[in-house]
Order: sequence, then structure tokens, then C-alpha cells
Amino acid sequence: MLLAVLFANSEGNILVERFNGVPAEERLHWRSFLVKLGADNLKGVKNEELLVACHKSVYIVYTVLGDVSIFVVGKDEYDELALAEAIFVITSAVKDVCGKPPTERLFLDKYGKICLCLDEIVWKGLLENTDKERIKRLVRLKPPTEF
Amino acid sequence: MAQPLVKKDDDRDDEEYSPFLGIEKGAVLQEARVFNDPQLDSRRCSQVITKLLYLLNQGETFTKIEATEVFFAVTKLFQSRDIGLRRMVYLMIKELSPSADEVIIVTSSLMKDMNSKTDMYRANAIRVLCRITDGTLLTQIERYLKQAIVDKNPVVASAALVSGIHLLQTNPEIVKRWSNEVQEAVQSRAALVQFHALALLQQIRQNDRLAVSKLVTSLTRGTVRSPLAQCLLIRYTSQVIRESSVNNQTGDRPFYDYLEGCLRHKAEMVIFEAARAITELSGVTSRELTPAITVLQLFLSSSKPVLRFAAVRTLNKVSMSHPMAVTNCNIDMESLISDQNRSIATLAITTLLKTGNESSVERLMKQITNFMSDIADEFKIVVVEAIRSLCIKFPLKYRSLMNFLSNILREEGGFDYKKAIVDSIVILIRDIPEAKEIGLIHLCEFIEDCEFTYLSTQILHFLGIEGPKTSDPSKYIRYIYNRVILENATVRASAVSTLAKFGATVDSLKPRIFVLLRRCLYDIDDEVRDRATLYLNTITEDSSVVESDKDVKEFLFGSLDVPLVNLETSLKNYEPSEESFNIASVPKEVKSQPLAEKKAPGKKPTGLGAAPTAPASTVDAYEKLLSSIPEFSNFGKLFKSSAPVELTEAETEYAVNVVKHIFDSHVVFQYNCTNTIPEQLLENVSVIVDASEAEEFSEVASRPLRLLPYDSPRQTFVAFEKPEGVPAVGKFSNMLRFIVKEVDPSTGEAEDDGVEDEYQLEDLEVVAADYMLKVGVSNFRNAWESIGPDYERVDEYGLGPRESLAEAVSTVINLLGMQPCESTEVVPSNSRSHTCLLSGVYIGNVKVLVRLSFGIDGPKEVAMKLAVRSEDESVSDAIHEIVASG
Repeated sequence: MLLAVLFANSEGNILVERFNGVPAEERLHWRSFLVKLGADNLKGVKNEELLVACHKSVYIVYTVLGDVSIFVVGKDEYDELALAEAIFVITSAVKDVCGKPPTERLFLDKYGKICLCLDEIVWKGLLENTDKERIKRLVRLKPPTEF
Repeated sequence: MAQPLVKKDDDRDDEEYSPFLGIEKGAVLQEARVFNDPQLDSRRCSQVITKLLYLLNQGETFTKIEATEVFFAVTKLFQSRDIGLRRMVYLMIKELSPSADEVIIVTSSLMKDMNSKTDMYRANAIRVLCRITDGTLLTQIERYLKQAIVDKNPVVASAALVSGIHLLQTNPEIVKRWSNEVQEAVQSRAALVQFHALALLQQIRQNDRLAVSKLVTSLTRGTVRSPLAQCLLIRYTSQVIRESSVNNQTGDRPFYDYLEGCLRHKAEMVIFEAARAITELSGVTSRELTPAITVLQLFLSSSKPVLRFAAVRTLNKVSMSHPMAVTNCNIDMESLISDQNRSIATLAITTLLKTGNESSVERLMKQITNFMSDIADEFKIVVVEAIRSLCIKFPLKYRSLMNFLSNILREEGGFDYKKAIVDSIVILIRDIPEAKEIGLIHLCEFIEDCEFTYLSTQILHFLGIEGPKTSDPSKYIRYIYNRVILENATVRASAVSTLAKFGATVDSLKPRIFVLLRRCLYDIDDEVRDRATLYLNTITEDSSVVESDKDVKEFLFGSLDVPLVNLETSLKNYEPSEESFNIASVPKEVKSQPLAEKKAPGKKPTGLGAAPTAPASTVDAYEKLLSSIPEFSNFGKLFKSSAPVELTEAETEYAVNVVKHIFDSHVVFQYNCTNTIPEQLLENVSVIVDASEAEEFSEVASRPLRLLPYDSPRQTFVAFEKPEGVPAVGKFSNMLRFIVKEVDPSTGEAEDDGVEDEYQLEDLEVVAADYMLKVGVSNFRNAWESIGPDYERVDEYGLGPRESLAEAVSTVINLLGMQPCESTEVVPSNSRSHTCLLSGVYIGNVKVLVRLSFGIDGPKEVAMKLAVRSEDESVSDAIHEIVASG
């Protein structure tokens, strides 16, 4: 299960948070844990360079894209490699929507589109689409090209 | 929560302001009224939805009324033909997840979209419907979903399949009917459809081993298009291997060739998954391991951090069971110590500590010293634990490892980190006699400047036990007395106790200790003064408090033979009166949760799960209950009450479980009965027990139950006499007998006439473990030494083929009914031998300690050596008899 996808700005404020199968009372805990993890480790990291951590049986893969930090959390079949795949899809979709690694302003300008992309990529904790070209078409309700 | 950004630089106005600056829920909800406009402005509506999403995505919640209002407004947007807006509407409805009574509003619109010619409407409508649907609606749309699974458009098929995976949790019986369609989708040419179909098909068939095995067999021969699906297949394959290996003791492992083939796949993800699957095979041979280790070694020098992490994490696991197999990777691993990603570095270090040989210890320690300063406490703890195991593995290297531990003990660090170091030093002192003196001195130096009261008191206590046994006990006194002068009251009190222990054990120090203890009589804290007074009176030659030297030692060094939790409860219940508190009245049984207690259904631990709740107190309740029944009041003190044993299957008309209460010469069965039929009232309920297979027992009393109304559990009792102090065993068959009366559900009144009826219950056994109390000891080695070898009995047993070592260990623990000590009930996976320590009190209040050594060989044959020490010869023999006849 992909337990969480979280976007934060460079100051650690949340831009998007989507949890799946995480009880409401644990979410705050996760949020502050991830933001702290980012603050401790993401300084000076290059765009899309992946960092990885694990806590008991839960894995976390995270990175920076422009002004935005992106975290994905998973367990069981969503181990570090599957999460790397998921975060790769997410970063390429965001770059695609924004045209470049986004500033925070640009990210918020494209907020609606980004939400739609996320909706195509992760659905209730399962990875649904992995191809950015296809995602680009799907958010405009266009069928995939290979069909 | 996001804060609106502040302006940082005037020149970059546009860049810095957030489009959501000053966003406020109330205002956005007002804006949402545009959804009701007769002339819809699609652009504006999309903007408002974006704002709503922004609020929701930051953890903002809507009240029920707000959510309903927004939901109804959003449904109006189905009128718009704007495609972008429609896509937003789908998302918004999913986010709002309307309640069952509201769903009806959108169902027809969504059903229409589901049959639309536009494929993408179909896919999205499926996802939304499945998110908000309930069982009844699902049966209506099932037909469409089945069609969608085999739809030509991969997006539609995937939408239906992923919906199926989610729906399987709530409506399994419906989803299971889609098996044929899903099977067809597994053969799809579209990579993702195959991936999703495979996941769903496996979940549908997960309880049918043969079907999963068939699925794996056919797919491993065919083509799997996406790497993600290939990874799933590898997982399912290893599951099949795990389940089939029991019956396959010779020859090649099935599917190994497939796994090995995957090591040459072009996707890293697949290679890695296969390598990990191979390393996790049970009883994996080094020939099987080699190719997997080779690819993992290549990943160690990958430029991608995730691959390095995954590889080192897997090798770390392998190093626990097969350290030799990993040694080839040591050079690559050493270069990872300087990896920027600290998680990777820590895993590398701990792996190296497991695989390194004796000669490399010093070099490794040097590297670690540089590394320790720049990692967080949680990583340091992992390293400390690894060093502890290394030291136990190479006891000759204790000097450099102990020095390392003492150095890091002096550096900055939090409580958990310091505690891990102190614990490690204590364990090394206990296990390596040569390390004792140097270790104690390190601990003494640490308490000179220790900010944690808990650690200081622990060390002082430990010093009191070990210090007097060293060659020069006097050198520790200075450190201890410094605590009395410099520290807070808690530490001072501990220091006083430690001084007293030195005084009692080392005669030459006694006069000087007296001087120090007398000074403590003027302490400002009363606990410190009280302890000093008590100890001065206890260890003086002409003591009036205790009679002999042996009593003094027993008082100072003996452990409390009651669990602290029980002592605490008894003290809380004690009401001040003429009668003083008697420690003998404290129950010795370690309270555990009754086994039959059902766990909350469907609640799985997630993420950073919370700690389990403390077990409830049941023993006291039983004692009170039994002593209140006149027939049982002369049975004496209750020795033990078992956990409830179910005598009926789940969900039967009458639920009955039984608790066995053991007295010295009696056994009482407490039958807890529940009537689960609302239309019935039971009267004169009793259990007829046939004890023909329990010769030493004779029934002496039975206490029937007058009334048993619906859903209100009550008890009936049957008591037996047995020879005094003898651990008699036997089998009892039980029959529930009662008069049943019909109840009118509307008035709740029972009819006057009833019918006599009987209900067969399962058999019940009294076994040897019922005569054993689970009583733990804090230090097994000390307890073992102090009980002595006089009545030690040792023998060896073959336990035959077993599923695993862990299974054999837990069977023997359950057979004996004893308390595992020092967490030795946990068997590390893949280990070939294991020692388990147990303690308990046998009927007649005889202390028993057991040391079990297990070994397992290739075809799962388990052998066990059982050593028993007790205070009574016949009890030691009895334990062997239990095992021999079990």
C-alpha cells in the first residue's frame, strides 16, 4: 500500500497531502516526521535525486523538485524500489504540467492539474498509471495514444 | 498546515504571492454557489474546485452539512459539457466521499457516463462509482464492471481492475465472481492491465493454494510485460516455493530456475526482487545464494541511492543468517560508510560488523569512530547494538570494543542512545568475565557526569551486585559516595543501597562503610535517611532486624519473588488497618490476556502503530468470585486459573468457554455460558461432566445456573476432588443441560412451559501445564546458579520433523506452561539452533528453571536437550515426564 504522498514547500509547509489507510490520528505525526526528515536531509540535494529511509517496515523515498519537496511512503509491496518508480512518475508528471522544475508559485498556479495527475497515478494507495504521456492525455479525458 | 507566503523581495512580486493567499474555508464555500448558476462558467467552476481541493489536501475538513451542500452543488456540474470541468467533478466527488443516502443523487449520472461512448467517461465513472458504492448498488453495476474488465481500452480495464482490488475488501463474494474476466485480463497485451489483473487474481485466489500454484506455473512460462507485474509474479512464486518446500525435501527447488533467470532481466526492479526472493528462501544453500549476492554486489556501487539502499538492506538481512556469503561484498560495503545517505551508511556499517573477521575489527572501529559524529541518535543505537553482538562473537577483542563504547558514552547524546551503550557494557560484563573490571570502571566514570537519573540508578544497582565480587572492591566506593554528595535524592538513595551491599559482602570494608552510611543519616531526604537507618541496623553484627548473615544477603540481594505489577496492585488495594501488609498475599501469577478474548476485527496496525494496551486484571476477579461461593470456600488458596478454553465453535447457538481453577486438592471448572438466541430463555443450566477418562478426579459439587437470558453471559461451576498436591491429569467430556423456553420478541416475555434439552460441548483436558505458574525471574543466570545443581536433571529428546525451529520452541513452551525469560522465546529466522530459558512455580510452590537447547538439521528433524533445576527432586523428574509423554 502506498500510505502517503506529500508535497511541501521549502519552508516545510504542506502543499498537498494524500493519505491512504493511515488513521486520522496518525496523520499529524507522519506529516511532522516527513517534514523534519526533509529539513534534515534535503538541503543541497539536486533536483530529482532520490533519498531513502525506512522506519520499521515502512519505506520512505523523497526528493526535491524546484522549490517543492516530494515524499512518498509505502509498505509491503511498495518497498523502496516501487516507491522510486512511483516518485519518478510523480516528478515527471509535475515537470510536465509545469514545464520545468516548479517554483512554489508555479506549482500553486497549476494546482488543479497536479491534483488530477496525482489522481491518475495513485488511486487509494495503489499505483494506477505510470506513463507520463498517458497521464497527460488522461487528465484531459483523452484516451491513451496506443489505443 | 500551509501558511500564506510572505513577500520576500519587491522585485519578484508575481513569483512570491500564492494564488491561494488568504484562502478561507467559509469564503470558498460561498464561492461554490456558482455551481448552481443556470449559465455555468466552466472556468470559474474549475477554479473553485481547485480551491476546494487545496483546502482538502491540506487536511482541512468539512462538516457534514458543508460536505453535503458542496456535494449537491457539484452534482449540478454534470450538466456542463466542458471536458476539463467534468474531469474535476469526478475528482471532487471522490474527495467528498458522500454518505450512502446522498449517493443516489449522482448514481444515475454516473451510470449514464459508465455506458457512454466516450471511453474516458467510462473509466472515470467506474472509479467514482466504486469509490462511493455500497453492496446493493454494486450488484446493479456488476454486469458493466465485468464488461469493463475485458474492455479494449486499457484505461477502462485498469479502472475496473483496480476498483476490484478495493472492492474485494468490502464485497469479496461479488468480486470473486469476476474470476473468468480477470483471468482473461491477465493475458492482456497492455502492460498495466496485466499488472493490475495479476494482483487482483492472486487476491481472489489467495486461499486456494493449488490455484495460485497453477497461476504461477502458467505465467512463469509465458510472457509478462511490465516489470511491476514481473515483481508481483516473483513474490507469488516465492510464496508457492515456501508452501511447497515442506513436501519437497530432496532434489531441486521448484521455480528456482525461474528466479535465477529473473536475475538477468533488463529492469533493475525485477533483478532486485528476484535476488531478494532467493536470499529469503528457507534453508537456502550457498550455491543458490551466490548468483543473487553477485547482482546485489553490483547494485552496491550503483549511482542510484535507492538501489544502493535496497542492496545493502538485503545484504544486511542475509548477513544475519549467512555472514560468510556476504564477505565478498565487504570492500564495496566499506566504501558505502562515507555515503551521503546516512541510512545507507548505517546499514553498511552494521553489515560489516556482522561479516567482518577478528583481524578486521580494529580497522573497522577506526572507520566507525569518524562516522559516529555525523549521524543521528537512532542510527547510533543500531551501530551500538551491532558492536555488542560483535564483541560477544569475538570476546578476545573486548578491550578495543569496550574502549569504543566508553568513548562514545562520554560524547553528547540522548537518553535512548546512552541507555543502549550502558546496556551493551552491562551485557559484555556479564558475558565476558575478563571485561568486568574495565567495564565497571567505565560505568563509574560515566555516573560521575551522567544527566539521566534512571541510568545512574541502574548502574549503581549493577555496581552493588558486581562490584563486591571484584579483586579490589574499595576502588568503587569513591564513585558511589560521590553520588551521595552530589546527586538528587533518587540517585542518593540508590547509592546508599549500593554502599550497603558492599558493606554486607566485603568484611574488610564494613567499618568504613558504616562511617559513610552514618553520614547519610543527616540527609535532607527522608527516603535516603530511612534507607541508611535500615541498612545500618541490618548489617551491624548485633543486628536486631535479621538473624544471620545469610538473611542479610537474602534481604539485600534476593529478588522479589512476586511480579512488580501484582505488588503494586496489592499495595494500592491495601487499606491501612491493624493488620500489616503481608507480601505473601500478593499473587505470583504473571497476568496475561485471556487467550479466548477476541481481538477487534478488521483493525490492522498501520504505519507507526500505537503500543498495545495493558492486560486486564483477571486473577483477582477469579479469586473474589470463587471465595464468594460457599461450596468452594474451604478449598484453600487458589493456585492458578487457566485462560478460557472455548468449548463451542464460533457463532453457535450457545457459546461456552471454561476456566480451570486449580487448588491444592481440588479443581473447579468455571463454565462461562452465553445464549445467543434472542427468542430463547434458558433455565436450570448445568454442565454434566463425564470424568471416566480422569480417574483420579471425583465430582464433589456442582452449581447450576438458574437463568440464562439472551446475550448476558453467566457462569455455572463444577468442582472435583483430586489427591492433594498431585498434578493429576485427565480428559472430561461435557454436556450442557437446560430447560429452554420460547420468548416473545415483541414483549420480551417468556412462555411458562419449557422443554428440557441438551447440547454437546467439546472435551476438556486438565494437563500438566495447569499445575505450573508462569513466574519470571529477572536474571536467569543468577537464579540458575543460586538454585544449584543438586536436583538437576538433564536428558535429550528427538522431537521428530517440525515445520520450523520456532514452531518446536513454542510447542515445548506451551506444553510446560512456563514463563520464557530474557525474550528467549523468540527464534531468529533461519537459525539452526536455539536456547530457550523458562521459569515457573510448580504446584506445592516449588521453583523450577528450565534450559532448553534446540537444534534442527536438514530434513527439519528437531532435537532438544532439556536441563531442569528445581528445589525438589521429584519436580525435576516430573518436568521430564511431561516432556516425555507430550
